[in-house]
Amino acid sequence: MIVAILILFFTSLSVEAQKFKQPVLISSAGQSADVKLVKMLAQRQGLNATTILMAKSADLTGFKTLIIVPGFSSKGLGAAGISQQEEMERVKALIKSANDLKIPIVMIHIGGSARRQGQSDAFNQIVAENSKSMLVVKQGDEDGFFTTISKAKNIPLTLVVKIAETEIPLGNFFK
Amino acid sequence: MRKITLQLIVLFALVFNAGILGQSLPQSTGRNGIVATAHPLASAAAIEMLKSGGNAVDAAVAAAFTIGVVEPDGSGLGGGGGMVIYLKKEHKSYFINYYGRSSERASEASFKSGRDNYSGKAIEVPGTVAGLLMAHEKFGSLPLSKIMEPAVRHAEDGFPIDQTLAKLILDNIDNIMSDSVTASVFLENGFPRMEGELLLQSDLGKVLRTIAEKGRNGFYEGQLAESFVEGIRDRGGVLTEKDFSSYQAEITSPLNGTYRSYDILTSNIPQSGISLIQGLNMLENFDLQASGHYSESAKTLHIMAEVEKLVYADRYQFLGDPDFVSVPVAGLTSKDYALERYNSINQSKLDPPRYRDADYGNPGAFDKAFRKEPALVMEPAEGHTTHLSVIDKDGNAVALTQTLGLFFGSGQTVSGVLFNNAMTNFSYNVENVNYMQNGKRCRTSITPTIILKNGNPFLILGSPGASRITTTLIELVVNVIDFGMDVNEANLAPRFYCQKFEDYLHVESGINPEVCSELEKMGHQVKVYNGIDLFFGGAQMIFVDPITGEYSGSADKRRGGIAIGY
Repeated sequence: MIVAILILFFTSLSVEAQKFKQPVLISSAGQSADVKLVKMLAQRQGLNATTILMAKSADLTGFKTLIIVPGFSSKGLGAAGISQQEEMERVKALIKSANDLKIPIVMIHIGGSARRQGQSDAFNQIVAENSKSMLVVKQGDEDGFFTTISKAKNIPLTLVVKIAETEIPLGNFFK
Repeated sequence: MRKITLQLIVLFALVFNAGILGQSLPQSTGRNGIVATAHPLASAAAIEMLKSGGNAVDAAVAAAFTIGVVEPDGSGLGGGGGMVIYLKKEHKSYFINYYGRSSERASEASFKSGRDNYSGKAIEVPGTVAGLLMAHEKFGSLPLSKIMEPAVRHAEDGFPIDQTLAKLILDNIDNIMSDSVTASVFLENGFPRMEGELLLQSDLGKVLRTIAEKGRNGFYEGQLAESFVEGIRDRGGVLTEKDFSSYQAEITSPLNGTYRSYDILTSNIPQSGISLIQGLNMLENFDLQASGHYSESAKTLHIMAEVEKLVYADRYQFLGDPDFVSVPVAGLTSKDYALERYNSINQSKLDPPRYRDADYGNPGAFDKAFRKEPALVMEPAEGHTTHLSVIDKDGNAVALTQTLGLFFGSGQTVSGVLFNNAMTNFSYNVENVNYMQNGKRCRTSITPTIILKNGNPFLILGSPGASRITTTLIELVVNVIDFGMDVNEANLAPRFYCQKFEDYLHVESGINPEVCSELEKMGHQVKVYNGIDLFFGGAQMIFVDPITGEYSGSADKRRGGIAIGY
């Protein structure tokens, strides 16, 4: 707990978390089940949020913030009936549309080491680099993957120790 | 701090404990015994038994109980399985079928696939305890309490969650959250436990202690069985105390076949060793070596994919519980039938253009005992399992595969036991051989297998992966026998998967892209998976060098297991 508080303290010192507006669209990049947990976190914080696992450009209408939860899952892709390549094309198109519409993207990476490297990192990278703020469970950044992107692109990064600890910073994004 | 301390203890034990593993890092070769499982702690448990003077069956049973604790997503006391045992001195082999059986009242549950997958309705009578204890009683040599000690220890003291389990908890969050007791084990404050955290299963530890003390009856009768029945009933199921008390594992001969000059001992029906034999019989008619490895030859991959597709078409049509339906075993394993099926393959293009339009054959023409031909219906493609392979210093060998059905089974935990959802394996079309009936065993893909060369163990293997099991095993066998790969090369080689009820030819990216392009020209729709992927199973293999007698093992990197020898 102390470690978690310290991490939150120092990361909040290093960058000032940006504020975002509601309503919020939550989507996945890689179709992992992590997006369901972020949906739960958003509900706990009472956010006006809609979750569309395979959101497309047209789904952005009316939303003021896009939260993308990256993480590859072959099970999720199988359930969605799409290939990894098709998913990547969808994600790229969604990001481009959000940027064109000036809808800020928030990346939330909660899967820790289970959603790093392998097929996940291509999704992690493209979402992180295009985000306006990143909220990451620290285990997913043990090699500095997100920290490096944060510094290179000057994107605020908030690190927490446990998944449950993402709830408060998530809520603070919208206060 | 406790988490880190325990991780260090486990790591220290694995690497430096001479009593378990010798003085150095785990070996994957040996002359006194070797084991390959999906988790280091299960492999260590098996080696501990071998070093204590136990035989391959002692080691396999210890590993099987332990893997149910440390890989709780794939198998456990609430599931079922099968094992092939080869006893070198007697030159005898056995198959123990300990897959579950539907309740005597199963039809009253009105189970609906999809809707009820994660409920008490999906639960069959679990067979793991009966099967493992039968193997130990008939062939083991160490006391049961000794064999079960590692499983009890890891349940009660906990173990660090590895990356595979952490990922599976995340991937299967809906299933886990379907039951508050299951959620209390795998979640903390409603969110998944992560890699490196300690997983404690104290209630499961108590059940394991009861089994160690009271044997089979401690699980299938009395207070524990009563609590299972009540808990399952509260979750919508219909299992009865009679279902538990009457459950029996079955011991028979394994199903026998041959491939080139090798003898195959594999799981008997309604498990899927028959499909492995049929597929290899068909491939005997094709010169794989001359055509080249499937990762570099579109023709080889096309032929193998077509063989796999036809094997699945037959499997769905003919394989069911022999207590309920007539299965043309002699026909499906006939070399003549295999040749007929092989000759039906168009060698240059996909024909018919959709896998789904592939017809089943007529093995009944090669099988005088076969009685009828029911209709064809697909079964769920999901399903997740675990496999372990063991051989001891005397050459006794065990191939063991066990499962909970889907990952984390039904998601329902009662009195510490996470129960299966094997009811999802049945067909619910009355015309199908695998149609759900009361007290029936469902068809299952599991295929524990031992391959002999000149009467001696040569290859011990198996894999999880639901409908991918048969294709994975066919590919592993040809990698070793036809392409001369060692077990690690064979296991790491890229895989592919094709079957009747699929629209895509699934391939790992190690398959040459030019091969994929050529396959698409032949009519296949290719779906590429980057790198290696758990989708294609997690094989655990042991190879016995026919000249030197040295053992070498391989645990599949797709699954995070380990082979240990000494």
